[in-house]
Amino acid sequence: MSDLPRQPRDIHEYLAEFDDIPGTRVFTAQRARQGYHLNQFAMSLMKADNRERWKADERAYLDAWPMTEEQRQAVLDRDYNRLLDLGGNIYFMAKVFSTDGQSFLQAVSTMSGMSLDEYAAMMIAGGRSPVGARSIKDGN
Amino acid sequence: MARITAGIASSHIPALGVASDLDRTAEPYWAPAFAGYDWTKAWEVEQKPDVVILVYNDHASAFDMKIIPTFAIGCAESFMPADEGWGPRPVPVVMGHPDLAWHIAQSCILDEFDMTIINDMAVDHGLTVPLSMMFGKPDAWPCRVIPIAVNVVTYPPPTGNRCWALGEAIAKAVASFPEDLNVQIWGTGGMSHQLQGPRAGLINREWDNRFLDRLEGDTDELRHMPHIDYLREAGSEGIELVMWLIMRGALGRRTRALHRHYHVPASNTAVGHIVLQPE
Repeated sequence: MSDLPRQPRDIHEYLAEFDDIPGTRVFTAQRARQGYHLNQFAMSLMKADNRERWKADERAYLDAWPMTEEQRQAVLDRDYNRLLDLGGNIYFMAKVFSTDGQSFLQAVSTMSGMSLDEYAAMMIAGGRSPVGARSIKDGN
Repeated sequence: MARITAGIASSHIPALGVASDLDRTAEPYWAPAFAGYDWTKAWEVEQKPDVVILVYNDHASAFDMKIIPTFAIGCAESFMPADEGWGPRPVPVVMGHPDLAWHIAQSCILDEFDMTIINDMAVDHGLTVPLSMMFGKPDAWPCRVIPIAVNVVTYPPPTGNRCWALGEAIAKAVASFPEDLNVQIWGTGGMSHQLQGPRAGLINREWDNRFLDRLEGDTDELRHMPHIDYLREAGSEGIELVMWLIMRGALGRRTRALHRHYHVPASNTAVGHIVLQPE
């Protein structure tokens, strides 16, 4: 049998560790609250008639949702790193890029600081190495 | 009596579903990912499971931010493929097994797992891609399916230990169902992948294979792996792998691997797949 559970039981201790992962935003309750309307807006694009209204006038469609102006602008810019900073979740943001006709590979590459070709080549070569990307504090 | 005869783990990468739907599985990019499922497709034809308990996560399809159940069980007669933003996948409707699903729900609640019961739910690629990988493109899926949807999107997801214990409770529930049914349990999602931020594209072949190693035999080391290890080592979306532990927990003390497959990449993700038998 294994040793005692290593999973922290203290929520503060549990959450604090997430900020130590390089280049990563974990979808915590704080982000879920900040991004509630942003994510619900994205969810509305699951319906074909909403997608049509969205395509016809993105600005007007966004104005109908109680989001911050920063969130609206980041959606118009398709700035996915910014959207994650503003409480967006990638599976919800996927409704926006799917409506644009983009694949996960295309949309995700825009967050990596690489071109689509460079990103796709990195994946074919085995993906991004975890070495040096595990912990800011430990630099490993 | 009903019995769990096997467990399967598999990635549920949406791009694999697209490749299947568009008949592109023989293309050089996709062929090696699909080839590792040929053995399982042939084996499933022989096994003829009556029911698959399919553990997966919804990706903002049936559940939005309004309601976030940690463990939800689908008790409906049938489940429609979800429209995830580009129209529903052209795959058969998923037929449920309400009698067994309600039996599992009731038994698990008495066993102190407070399941959310779902009577109307669309199922997204998390559930339908594994069906395509294991059964190909039939006119109707060859078995009934009981969806178990796990929250792995909004933190915290359930711990690995809790997932393993839920698997044990599901196995106990199945064993007390009076009808003679051949039941499989599948755990889906993973393996290493990160779909966000500057660290996007992370893959950890060595860690993934160590994870697969520890599903075999009698070790229960994985039930105590904390979430932070998944996040650091397998990427932010690698956390889906906790769902595999529900499958593993349902197989009892010891397992034997019948087949195993690992391939990088499919889209942003490492494909992992294993077929296990309880021993």
